[in-house]
Amino acid sequence: MCAKKVDAIVIGAGWAGSILAKELTEAGLSVVMLERGDERATAVEGDYPSSIDELRGAIRHRLFQNLSQSTVTIRNTLDQEALPYRRLAAFLPGEGVGGAGLHWSGVHFRVAPDDLALRTNVVARYGKNFIPEGMNLQDYGVTYEELEPFFDKAEKVFGTSGEPYTIKGKIAGNGNRFAPDRSDVFPLPAMGEVYSASLFRSAAANVGYHPYALPAANASAQYTNPYGVQMGPCNFCGYCSGYDCYMYSKASPNVNILPALRQDPKFTLITKAHVLKVNLDADKKKATGVSYLDLRTKKQVELDADLVIISAFQFHNVHLMLLSGIGQPYDPQQNTGTVGRNFVYQTITTSRAWLSPKQYTNLFVGAGGAGVAIDDFNSMNFDHGPLGFVGGSPVWVNQAGVKPIAAATGGPGGKAPTWGEGYKEAMVDTYRHSLTIDAHGSNMAYRDVYLDLDPTYSNAYGQPLLRMTFNWKDNDIRMNQYVVGKIEPIIKAMGATKYSLGMLKDGEVFDTRRYQTTHLGGGAIMGTDPKTSCVNRYLQSWDVSNVFVIGASAFPQGMGYNPTGMVAALAYWAAYHIRTTYLKNPGPMVQA
Amino acid sequence: MKIPSSTRRNFTAGLLGSASFWMYGGHKVWADALQSESAQSYNPKYFNHEEWLFLNAACARIFPADAHGPDAALLGAPEFIDRQMDTPYGHGELWYMSGPFKEGAPNLGYQLSLPPRDLYRQAIAAANAYVRDHHQGQTFAQLAIPEQIALLKVFEQGKMALGAVPAHTFFEQLRQNTLEGVFSDPLYGGNKGLAGWTLLGFPGARADFMDWVNQKGAPYPFGPVSISGETA
Amino acid sequence: MKYGLFTRATFFGVAALLAGSVSELRAEDTSALIAQGKYVAEASDCSACHTVRGRGEFAGGMEFKLPIGSIYSSNITPDPTHGIGAYSEAEFSRAVREGVRRDGASLYPAMPFPSYARMSDGDIHALYVYFMKGVQPVAQAAPPNGIPWPLSIRLPMTIWRAVFSPSVVAAQKDVNRSLPDDGIGRGAYLVEGPGHCGACHSPRGMALQEKALSNSSGSLFLSGGAAIDGFVPTSLRQDQRTGLAGWSEDDIVQFLATGRNRRGEAFGGMTDAIFHGTQHLTDADLHAMARYLLSLQPHQPTLSAWHYDPSAATALQAGDASAQGAKVYVDHCEACHRSDGRGYAPAFPPLAGNPVLMSDDPASLVHVVQSGAVLPGMTKAPSAFAMPAYSGILSSQQIADVVTFIRKAWGNNAAPVTAATVEELRKSAPEPTIQKGIIPLN
Repeated sequence: MCAKKVDAIVIGAGWAGSILAKELTEAGLSVVMLERGDERATAVEGDYPSSIDELRGAIRHRLFQNLSQSTVTIRNTLDQEALPYRRLAAFLPGEGVGGAGLHWSGVHFRVAPDDLALRTNVVARYGKNFIPEGMNLQDYGVTYEELEPFFDKAEKVFGTSGEPYTIKGKIAGNGNRFAPDRSDVFPLPAMGEVYSASLFRSAAANVGYHPYALPAANASAQYTNPYGVQMGPCNFCGYCSGYDCYMYSKASPNVNILPALRQDPKFTLITKAHVLKVNLDADKKKATGVSYLDLRTKKQVELDADLVIISAFQFHNVHLMLLSGIGQPYDPQQNTGTVGRNFVYQTITTSRAWLSPKQYTNLFVGAGGAGVAIDDFNSMNFDHGPLGFVGGSPVWVNQAGVKPIAAATGGPGGKAPTWGEGYKEAMVDTYRHSLTIDAHGSNMAYRDVYLDLDPTYSNAYGQPLLRMTFNWKDNDIRMNQYVVGKIEPIIKAMGATKYSLGMLKDGEVFDTRRYQTTHLGGGAIMGTDPKTSCVNRYLQSWDVSNVFVIGASAFPQGMGYNPTGMVAALAYWAAYHIRTTYLKNPGPMVQA
Repeated sequence: MKIPSSTRRNFTAGLLGSASFWMYGGHKVWADALQSESAQSYNPKYFNHEEWLFLNAACARIFPADAHGPDAALLGAPEFIDRQMDTPYGHGELWYMSGPFKEGAPNLGYQLSLPPRDLYRQAIAAANAYVRDHHQGQTFAQLAIPEQIALLKVFEQGKMALGAVPAHTFFEQLRQNTLEGVFSDPLYGGNKGLAGWTLLGFPGARADFMDWVNQKGAPYPFGPVSISGETA
Repeated sequence: MKYGLFTRATFFGVAALLAGSVSELRAEDTSALIAQGKYVAEASDCSACHTVRGRGEFAGGMEFKLPIGSIYSSNITPDPTHGIGAYSEAEFSRAVREGVRRDGASLYPAMPFPSYARMSDGDIHALYVYFMKGVQPVAQAAPPNGIPWPLSIRLPMTIWRAVFSPSVVAAQKDVNRSLPDDGIGRGAYLVEGPGHCGACHSPRGMALQEKALSNSSGSLFLSGGAAIDGFVPTSLRQDQRTGLAGWSEDDIVQFLATGRNRRGEAFGGMTDAIFHGTQHLTDADLHAMARYLLSLQPHQPTLSAWHYDPSAATALQAGDASAQGAKVYVDHCEACHRSDGRGYAPAFPPLAGNPVLMSDDPASLVHVVQSGAVLPGMTKAPSAFAMPAYSGILSSQQIADVVTFIRKAWGNNAAPVTAATVEELRKSAPEPTIQKGIIPLN
């Protein structure tokens, strides 16, 4: 078969892929980006008012992966038989141009620097024995100082709104005092605060914590980014998570990068192209290109390239590596191999406070990235010594716009009925007069939590599905319970009439039926040792040096912060080193 | 895009938009009028007559009429569900539906081979058979309201199966779809007169709160508007 | 100070003439001329009419619907049979500047040869070289014109041409008229000549001739034209409210370069003029055009200046939508255009003080509401923005109400619009861009 040849192939048209494609075309490379889903345009997907449709959007999952073609299987323990994740619920990967970057909420953090070297920091502070048996605690192999210029660049591309704490070592604002030093201001000022967030701010401060405005990739004003693309300002419509922002104010690859990228004649985007595998040469040391299925013609296409960027959603990256034979699959019994190792998630629980009938929280008003948070119990910001667990959670009011179907099917909360007599009364009270507070926490990596290929189930193209083996662990449950306990005094300080605390229970198993978060991580993690990581500190495969694997798949453990800011910074970081080092002398950038 | 006739729109909007109407006397007459209009105006495309009666009764029990307004049947939830049955969702085209189909721990999620339309068909038939067996040949819709409620509670909590469908799975499907019908855009057949949104104080498809970001606890002033421009 | 058109084009033109025929040019001269000719083609907006999606660049085929039948733009690629490959430079110049086809027939004045008559010999030469050497030939005939005999006889066109189109000599004389400074001269040349802005923005007479072809013919020039595809070109003069009074030089430059600025956004045919034309011009040329436009005295000097009136915004922000059309505005328009009418420029245009909606003729505003609008991405502003079409959502009465509100609020103080007018305008509403399958990707 005669294959076409380009300089670089980018797999997946989300944030990571769009950033890499932009950077590589800027470097003069011809780039083909392959996306298995449809083209997405705000004028269609974000048409006003027809896109303001909860049923079609977040309920029937218009912008999400259609599981009928491909899904994952899930089990909690090694001895269980994994079953298919048949209906979207616990997590919601994207599909189509923009990927999950089109339907995300917009919370745009950097990173807690301690999290980048968590193993080193925990060992230094509490000793090696503090780490529980079976926990694969690891460092990223990159420092905050190294990443800072790329966090800065990503914020400027995204048009991120926020308030700084320090800039170049000097106090510059009333932002998060636990946040690392910045080289520059946020490109836009912090978002406005809804009523519930302002109540949380004053109550948290009264209790002695340090509230700050969440950094949001929802534009607080009109904005033009360094690529010349324009954003409208967020009007708190609340249609962020699950939707294409009709105001062009939530950052997405579609709004913030692709309009500029599409003008570059060296760039080609092919949609409905499902990549089957990355093709390797005979000794599996070099990728020659990819094979993809053209979903329109149902024909397999070979495309050759000097450089292959795997930048699909986190677990699709791992799936593709396993299907392609890049690196050695992880084996939890022998504790060998790396692909699929350190699969991680996040611990998210929601508490609710009810206010007086005179206080309307107008829950429908909101922005996906906006809110007020505290970091007092995130990362290494507090003493874990007497607590005996690793990790932490930011806590926040992130009123992202509560729509009626989600509210009604979720029920009024507390002890109120979920249907029938008394339901409406309670639902009205909850919808009009309550607010929610989340603990959005870390999830550590464990030897028996991982990804591999399922032995039974396959996708529509005859390939084995990816299998997730995942369960909650005692360390993370106790962390969640501890942090949620810290929410209680805040709720009391708000003057709530009643409240319910949401927390993981002892021994709780992972439930696939209830939405928690789409912040999956790991499986193709970065690090300094090829025995315990898939990619080096530049996200370059240790095994196949012309393959880079970009995304939250690189996270060694699940952190308390939302991942997109870190993914974007890692993408710009990897791209910078590809441009400045790799392209001049292709080959491994770190010797194994 | 469906644009409701102005007569109908003004009628229901004027009727349901007024909170005082529901709080004070007289609404029974109007509710009955609405019900008869609604029953006449829609012929189910998927459900047969017996299923349709079941669905109307069950929707009304899940989301009942009370001082806060009419029940889900009156708001068009049965019509909504019927219309959903002939969508990709109803046909199960949004779900992974490849075998083998095995039972597993509940936390691993739905593992039946049935798309929603088949689930309803099997479960409603089995539910009515169950009722006939236990209530002298009556169907679910013929039972008195307290008996219907009691039966739904059995389904909700019970370990019994309705055909191939665990009763709890069927009940949750019904509850989910009923509430979707009450609270989705009227484009899909439910939420008649925007009464679902009015109940919660949800403003609908306007989706602009730039001037109302923080009201310091005061309510938002405007009523809802739908995608097609219907207001209440 | 005299006209300022001795540009690179002229220089290369003279050089070319000295060198002899096109085919004998040295390669570097040809490539420079081709580049210059391409620039002149962009300044002249040739592709807006001669390039149709799916037919090949400059292969013609754009339909112009006239009451007497349809005509189609011609294939102007160098294909010798279907295009203009057989034209000599003199024949080419005669077609562009005088409206005479190679076979001697007169062109329909949809071709703006009365404006192109002002183009310099140098620019015409560069344009000729570009079309002969820099454009791919397309061997495809444009559709035949659909005007039935005897109306298809082009004799009246010849008479029209003789009466209404200036001779090249006369046009060049007007180009060379005295103008205040170099910048304005270059701007006048571009606006009045290749840019042919007056073709849309000047009023036309009984025979569809432009009533003024340059500012030297008086203030009717660029004082606003008749509706084209349902949209009414505004005055480009310093008219208060309905013209460019209050726009800065940078506003105009930004508008011509990107189709958007803090005061408004392009829609309708203007997006094509910018997309195919002005966005490709140099900053120096755009500034020259802006300076020239800013020098044009108002056609209606008695119009009062627009001043912002906050009362409509104050009411909406207090939850009061009782004014006529205010509730429709709140429900459907305010999300992007704001309660204060200031929009979120440049993403979403302001309605307060926007000259498009304060004119006596409400057609543009009504049609934008009915059919929506799309602003395509430009090189310097890659983001595309779309406004939805409301004809399927709002009744004519609701559109009349909201348009009346918009025309009255924020100091706009323009006359109300009736439902009957809106209903009438439904007939001439343009087809929504998105429905034509042109999806702006953003």
